[in-house]
Amino acid sequence: MKKFLLSALLSAPLWVLGQGFQVNLQGQKQIGMAGAGSALALDEASVFYNPGAVTFLEKNSVSAGVNPLLFKSAFKQTGSNVTEDVKNKIAPPFEFYAVWGPKSNKWKLGLGVYTPFGGLVDWGDNWSGKYALTSLNLKAIYFQPTLSIKITDRIGIGAGFVYNHGDVNLQRAIPVNFPDGRSGKATLDGTGTGYGWNAGLYIKTLSNISFALVHKSKVITKLDGGSAEFEVPKSLEGSFPAGNTFNAELPLPATTSLGIGIPLSKSTVLAFDASWVQWHIYQDLSFDYATNTPALVDTKSARNYRDGSSFKLGINHQASEKLALRAGIGYAFSPVQDGYVTPEAPDADRYILSAGLGYTPTRHFEVNASFFFEDVKSRKQKNIETGLDGTFKTLVYAPGISLTYKW
Amino acid sequence: MKRYILNSFVAAIILFAAACRPEIETPAGTTAGQANFSKYIAVGNSLTSGYADGGLYLEGQKVAYPNLIAAKMAMVGGGAFTSPFFSEEHSNGSGYISLTALVNGTPTLTPVVDKLAIRDAAKHLDKYNGEIQNLGIPGMRVDLAFDPTLTFSAANPYFERLLPDAQVGKTNYFQFIQGRNHTFFSLWLGNNDVLGYALNGAVTVSTDPTTALTDKVTFSSLYANFLNVLTAAGQKGIVGTIPDVTAIPYFNTVTVAALLNAAKAINPAAAAIYIQTGTGAVRPATAEDLIRLPFQSEGIFGKPNGSGIPYGLHPLNPIENKWVLDKDEVIKLKDYVNSYNSSIKSLATSKGLAIADTYAYFNQVKTGINVQGVGINASFITGGAFSLDGVHLTPRGNAVIANVFIDAINAKYGSTVPNIDITQYRGVKFPN
Repeated sequence: MKKFLLSALLSAPLWVLGQGFQVNLQGQKQIGMAGAGSALALDEASVFYNPGAVTFLEKNSVSAGVNPLLFKSAFKQTGSNVTEDVKNKIAPPFEFYAVWGPKSNKWKLGLGVYTPFGGLVDWGDNWSGKYALTSLNLKAIYFQPTLSIKITDRIGIGAGFVYNHGDVNLQRAIPVNFPDGRSGKATLDGTGTGYGWNAGLYIKTLSNISFALVHKSKVITKLDGGSAEFEVPKSLEGSFPAGNTFNAELPLPATTSLGIGIPLSKSTVLAFDASWVQWHIYQDLSFDYATNTPALVDTKSARNYRDGSSFKLGINHQASEKLALRAGIGYAFSPVQDGYVTPEAPDADRYILSAGLGYTPTRHFEVNASFFFEDVKSRKQKNIETGLDGTFKTLVYAPGISLTYKW
Repeated sequence: MKRYILNSFVAAIILFAAACRPEIETPAGTTAGQANFSKYIAVGNSLTSGYADGGLYLEGQKVAYPNLIAAKMAMVGGGAFTSPFFSEEHSNGSGYISLTALVNGTPTLTPVVDKLAIRDAAKHLDKYNGEIQNLGIPGMRVDLAFDPTLTFSAANPYFERLLPDAQVGKTNYFQFIQGRNHTFFSLWLGNNDVLGYALNGAVTVSTDPTTALTDKVTFSSLYANFLNVLTAAGQKGIVGTIPDVTAIPYFNTVTVAALLNAAKAINPAAAAIYIQTGTGAVRPATAEDLIRLPFQSEGIFGKPNGSGIPYGLHPLNPIENKWVLDKDEVIKLKDYVNSYNSSIKSLATSKGLAIADTYAYFNQVKTGINVQGVGINASFITGGAFSLDGVHLTPRGNAVIANVFIDAINAKYGSTVPNIDITQYRGVKFPN
């Protein structure tokens, strides 16, 4: 007798993960154009933007770039007069591309390594939402070998196989207190893999207006045997066994894009991309622990994402033989419905602004730089699952640079 | 060269970005509305004093809900808020119980006996001189606040410690709270008018007025007296309703089902738990009968009497009435609470006061709520809201209930007293 079940200890279901965290930073030129450019055979980043356009690239090339991303999110609890900010941490989305094919042949090979999804958000260990999340570090690195073929002089198709290597580290406080009053802590850390594909069609009309249709498949990333560590008072260690592991599944959504490229003059081209991001596959997030206790049960948290979408308009102007200037604007609709906004993805509809420039000092070398800014709208929310109640506001700043060698 | 220009361009952007933090504008903390918080006083009982874990001690005093509210009122013109804190040297005050072990879910509760503020063999507590605004006194009741014999001011050690020697035994609480020049007040009183009776298993001891059940009409008229003096100079304030005392962990942890399971583990033939009801009748217990929390540590369950009949498991040796709130007593207590609350609400409404409906809120807590990522419910130890005595609040519980008061104040007076971040306050401390 006299037993007190601890099952209520974690009455808020555990864990929320990997959400509206699509990172739209895959090529410096396209970033400078707000992420538009699937209908332009601009450079080797077409491996990502449109494999069908790769075969229309004039040169073979390799490029590497990085876009240090500063995700500045703030939260104010409903009724509070205190604004809390995430720590300044710089996430490093990067991209590497190589394109090669025999000159004046109908095919080209490509390779892309890039980070289409990710998130780095650290609210600190003692913020007011700490029992929902203290920090998330999510990285998805896609490796994509690609083949692109010219069907005619004006139509190209291409496809790539995608292998994803995912890393997740998620931390939150647990509302049990040590003798000194501090809270317990949980850390979930794991790596996972997933597979998918990326295929595109590129059509250049007689008027030189180009069209693109690209589909990037969903990538279900499975995390098996990740470590689940719990820092709790000794008297509760039986409920949170040491050396526990978990399995989880992270569905990264498919994206279908329609692109248009319109040459305005010999040196100026306009690009428009509309993307449909099929987040509806993210209905719930489940964690399956290897060892369960009454206090640590497997969880299944509703996410109920709907599909998201984005519209991006960019311009590329070749100001001189060596200098290109770019700018873009965009708008994206969040996949996160009311009641499901969480601190690791304080998502809302967002505006996108960008600028970029390219410099070509020699025939072989090219430097491109960009600046990407997102203004994520302020969103007042009460999370259905955790009860976290307040307003999120996020600004994203990402300057970037890449180097290209062409031959 | 161009590379350097680019690099410095990027560096400048990063610096710029670091400076550009998102802004969120809200009205919280900007106005006192129609209220004036410059001198707030809190009238009440143990809950108001910060009593927790079966005792009054410094850590609990500091997080008493009025102290948490006052700290937020300070942002909209509230003044200093003074409380009769125990000294650091005697920070454990009256002493309290702590959780020292939890083995397979079975708690060991151990009294804390160091750093006590007990000043003499009669267990009187360290005196506190000086002005105070947290006027909460553990054990205070609406009826005894008007104690005509004036003896409660001597008998209650928490009251006694606040009085100069000359006044001990010569005043009552109703007099004590007056003349304090307040501009705002909270009044959360009346729990003990029913709880004192309930905690004694619904048995009134004639020599102990703290076990009486206050008459409904008496309650209403005495409560009106409180509101009259507290609003005498037109002051604004807030009253709190009385939680359902039968919903607290004290009455919902040692359940009939748990006792029966324990009995069956020893003797599979055990079929029922027997109780003696308030009418003296003996019958099998049902889920609607509530057993008091201390019964588990009393160690009498199942013990054979002189005739070899195990305690609580046979009609001839039932669990005594004092340990049990039987079904009819529960109904009676709920009825009294409802009656007190309708008096409180109608009196407060007629005075134009704010009402913190803690009755409604604790009913939600009983079924479980999620607040800012923290699951809170009425479970003993693990629920997070109730301290180790199963009656009083943890720091987290105080923070949650302080927000109930703040929300009601803001709604009534158009003020924007900021809410409290409840995640900064602990639940029960678990042993290492």
